[in-house]
Amino acid sequence: MSATIALGRQESAARLRRQAWVERLRLALRTPSLLIGVGVLLFWVILAIFAQNIAPHDPLAPDILHKLQPPSADHRFGTDGLGRDVLSRVIYGSRGILVAAPLATLLGTVVGTAIGLIAGYFRGLVEDVLMRITDAFLALPTIVTALLVLASVGGSTTTVILVIGLGFAPIIARTVRAAVLSEAQLEYVEAARLRRERAPYVMFVEILPNVMGPVLVEFTVRLGYAVFAIATLSFLGLGIPPPSPDWGLTISEQYTYLISNFWWPVLFPALAIASLVIAVNMFADGLSRVLER
Amino acid sequence: MLRFLARRIALALVTLWLLSVIIFLASHALPGDVGRRILGPFADPRAVATLDHSLGVDRPLLVQYLDWIGGFIRGDLGTSLSFHVPVAQLLLRGLGNSVKLALVAFVIVVPLSILGGVVAALRRGTFIDRTISIGGLSATAMPEFVTSIVLILLLSITLKVLPISVQVPPDADPFTQVYHLILPSLPLVLVLFGYIARITRAGMIEALESDYTRTAVLKGLAWRTVVFRHVLRNALMPTIAVVATQTGYLIGGLVVIETMFNYQGIGQLLYTSVAQKDFPLIQAGVMTVGVVYLVATLLADISYSLLNPRIRLAGRE
Amino acid sequence: MERDAQRRLDAIRAGRSELENAGIDELLAGRVSRRQFLRWGTVVGMSLPTLAIILEACGNTTNTPSGGNIKKGGRLNIGHQTPTGAMDPILTNDLGRLTILGQCGEYLSFSDKDLKLRPVLATSWSPNADGSVWTFKIRQGVKYNDGTTPMTVDDVVATFNRLADPSLKGNNALSNFAGVLSKGNVTKVDSQTVKFQLDAPNGNFPYLVSSDNYNAIILPANYTGNWDQTFIGTGPFKLKKYTVNDSVSLDKNPTYWDQSNQPYLDGLDFKFYDKEPAAILAFQAGSLDVYTQFSVSNGQGLLTDPNTTVIDIPTSAHRQIHLRTDQGPLTDKRVRQAIALSIDRNAIITGLWNGKAQIANDHPIFKMYPSSDTSVAQRAQDVTKAKDLMSQAGKSAGFKVTLYTEQVQEIPALAQLLQAAAKAIGVDITLNITDSGTYYDKYWLDSPLGITDYGHRGVPNTFLQAPLLSTGTWNAAHFSNPTYDGLFKDYVKAIDLSAQKAVTGKIEQLLLDETPLIIPYNYDFLTAVKKKVAGVETTGMGHVNFRLAGITS
Repeated sequence: MSATIALGRQESAARLRRQAWVERLRLALRTPSLLIGVGVLLFWVILAIFAQNIAPHDPLAPDILHKLQPPSADHRFGTDGLGRDVLSRVIYGSRGILVAAPLATLLGTVVGTAIGLIAGYFRGLVEDVLMRITDAFLALPTIVTALLVLASVGGSTTTVILVIGLGFAPIIARTVRAAVLSEAQLEYVEAARLRRERAPYVMFVEILPNVMGPVLVEFTVRLGYAVFAIATLSFLGLGIPPPSPDWGLTISEQYTYLISNFWWPVLFPALAIASLVIAVNMFADGLSRVLER
Repeated sequence: MLRFLARRIALALVTLWLLSVIIFLASHALPGDVGRRILGPFADPRAVATLDHSLGVDRPLLVQYLDWIGGFIRGDLGTSLSFHVPVAQLLLRGLGNSVKLALVAFVIVVPLSILGGVVAALRRGTFIDRTISIGGLSATAMPEFVTSIVLILLLSITLKVLPISVQVPPDADPFTQVYHLILPSLPLVLVLFGYIARITRAGMIEALESDYTRTAVLKGLAWRTVVFRHVLRNALMPTIAVVATQTGYLIGGLVVIETMFNYQGIGQLLYTSVAQKDFPLIQAGVMTVGVVYLVATLLADISYSLLNPRIRLAGRE
Repeated sequence: MERDAQRRLDAIRAGRSELENAGIDELLAGRVSRRQFLRWGTVVGMSLPTLAIILEACGNTTNTPSGGNIKKGGRLNIGHQTPTGAMDPILTNDLGRLTILGQCGEYLSFSDKDLKLRPVLATSWSPNADGSVWTFKIRQGVKYNDGTTPMTVDDVVATFNRLADPSLKGNNALSNFAGVLSKGNVTKVDSQTVKFQLDAPNGNFPYLVSSDNYNAIILPANYTGNWDQTFIGTGPFKLKKYTVNDSVSLDKNPTYWDQSNQPYLDGLDFKFYDKEPAAILAFQAGSLDVYTQFSVSNGQGLLTDPNTTVIDIPTSAHRQIHLRTDQGPLTDKRVRQAIALSIDRNAIITGLWNGKAQIANDHPIFKMYPSSDTSVAQRAQDVTKAKDLMSQAGKSAGFKVTLYTEQVQEIPALAQLLQAAAKAIGVDITLNITDSGTYYDKYWLDSPLGITDYGHRGVPNTFLQAPLLSTGTWNAAHFSNPTYDGLFKDYVKAIDLSAQKAVTGKIEQLLLDETPLIIPYNYDFLTAVKKKVAGVETTGMGHVNFRLAGITS
């Protein structure tokens, strides 16, 4: 008997949750920043998938005698310092970053959130040990950590993902812990504790959904920063090696032409990076608005 | 309060010790033999072994670590392998220069971004909010090396309003120094503005929607009083945490800016030392960045607790 | 030839050695050009006035450089590459340091942009018959820039015995002196004369004691180190303030020995730059008067700037693409030839270098050297022939190979151009581009295919030795050819220009045939100077001479 009631309660809870999601979806469709963000993201994903069909030229084929040609009908974005088609390189360049940046951010968020939750929930010795180790890593800026690691193991997509991802974890852990600290004082957590719920349940089922706001804000800001950090590492000659059309690398190879007023090989990949980060942030901004309700 | 302080400082020291272990192990993981680095690829292996022995790099790791950390505590940071001058001399100069640059950036960005975040939160959903949020995002999205180049082209070469050179005359007065540092600090300001404003805005909104704000409003307190006494105080907490974490970025992550502007700060020094595998300089440089960061976080923790008695009490338990 | 000129020439010939007369014969017979003769003549110790008379007699004229109307006083702001180590003449191995050394220190002679040797602290020099003993007359009345210490023959003797000492820590000059000069074989003849007893005859020895061997600054006999505290030397400038890794300021040396050529400037302020774009931007914005060396890729804007004078001189600095000859896919020389034939050198020079490089022929005896045999045909792009060679070698289906190189200046671009060119003949090159340290540590001498940067040398000896001899220490191609090793020995001991050229012709042919190296170009040394600055003299080695530089009125 009581089992049936419990089942019925579960069913209605599931229905309520489903309704809430439908409501959120409706809200999402009325949030312009979310729609624009998703639109731009989709645009880049489609370009990345269909690069070979869309790009007018081979992104790696040099034509040194036609270097630094301004934008024209044949080369819509002009040619770079080796005479390669800038448009084609921008299109192909989306591939690396659309894989590396989300993976690195995901890695950082998962590791960081776990550390932050555990530290914020358990407090005491566990918190002290975790936060001291986190602080020790946090005391090293991502770029410095990356300098050390990449100088010893060399740049590749995998090492860049690992370095950026793990470099983000302490920052995310700290933010999550701060959020958990204020949640942990609240009644529902106390209630769960009094119900003698197991710690992982309280952390991941009770607290986690309530700190998803900061986690999401952090995730999205970090995603934007991942694009930025990967570009910076390439710029310093520590990331993905040439001849990859990676945007950050392209800027590092071509930016010196700016001082001679050849702006097109740099401007377009820079705009691509900016558009991607802004899209990611608008998407997340809209998402958090929708989830807040 | 004193007990709280003592506890925080003790924890910072523990962190520092952990950091020293991490740095020591990491720099020893860098490929390449120290003696080989100094003598070059064509030196006799016996000469390399002799040099390694005289430098003491063939001893057990633990002995080397104790030796190094002992020197560090006594203030003896060793001698740079590539510049043949005491590491401390190079670091102090680099750190001084970086702090100057970071201060200029901080002084510009902190008030500006907190103001931006507060205004955006109070005018939530309006045009001003959108402008600040999207504008901040766009600025944050642009890598420093791109904004630097654009700023140089615009402000130094085309409009000629700011000097491109950060070669400040050594006897220059503070105003002249600041004048030379504005241009290189602007890319940092742009990067940080969106980030800090965003966190401030999020904190403000959370505080505005909280029960205590509602209670305060219901009690009939003036809106201005509510905002200043209750909302701001709670909203600034996450902001302080963010500003503190950005200190590390500012001091150590200046690599790009300092390289772009040829500014002899600690970021450029670190980049050079890693490129040249200058072990004593790498270890001491990274350690210095860590110390600076920890001091900044410690100060942030203290002010955080002053603003939030709950944490302070919790800390005392 | 006019009778008058003939008589003067005869008078000169009567007083010259057999060696020198052989050179004059070469010139008269038209086998060497005027420029080649001038360079060679200065090496064997003929003075410039003598050479001018000979050339005039042979229907040639020399022209002397004209000075501008430079005013006295002022200082120059100079942008310069950051020195990468301790400022010490003995340890120096980079442009960052050698240019600074050359302001305060001086050499026995100065190797100018045409590779002619100009007497400085030596007034004249001459070899014995086989070139195994060289005697130098040392200038008298020279003082160091501390204002008191006189420079003596003993200092010269001590300087070179020091540089020939293999036990001296960090001695960078050893690569020049190994097998050429041994410690203790530099001796004082009298208070004005120094004698160098060489390990083996060497026709190019004077270059090794000139500014081309930048470690060979004449230092006091009792020098023990700490040059960065004193900047001691006999040069036209002296130390004002040196800030490691940042800048160095120099003042005019008021006791400089050359009374008729005192510096115009009151001093020089060098500012160090790690990254070229920062320096170029500072130069464009007017913070710098001189930028000592810039690359074409970063300095496109400077090449066309109306307010900038670009001093452009050819050098023997180049890139070596090594093709490993003893193992891997490139052991068949036809494959190596095919790759060399696939590249379009003219396009690379025009496109990558805006013409600021010289075409090279896969050997390091560049046309600028007097001993170069220019009759050896230049290798040009020929894709059809390359494909034929590939199928003759049984590789018409193509193969994969990895190219290792370093992230230095235009090298990544060159690697990509080579990759594209090789693709056309079926060679699929994968690029592995790392930082310099990693490349030299891990890949350089163990890679099937790679690109390495080589700096300028006044004579090709080092280029012919270390990367190509079977015992060579930089032999990344693992090239081992007894005929070549024999030819190299013959080349080193040849003093007579025609004897040198007979050997170089064979070396060039052999290297073209074997193709252990592809050397597509040697590139120019470019210095940017504001229009108001005049009198700056540069050399292929990277010396930038400010002694007669100044601001025009």
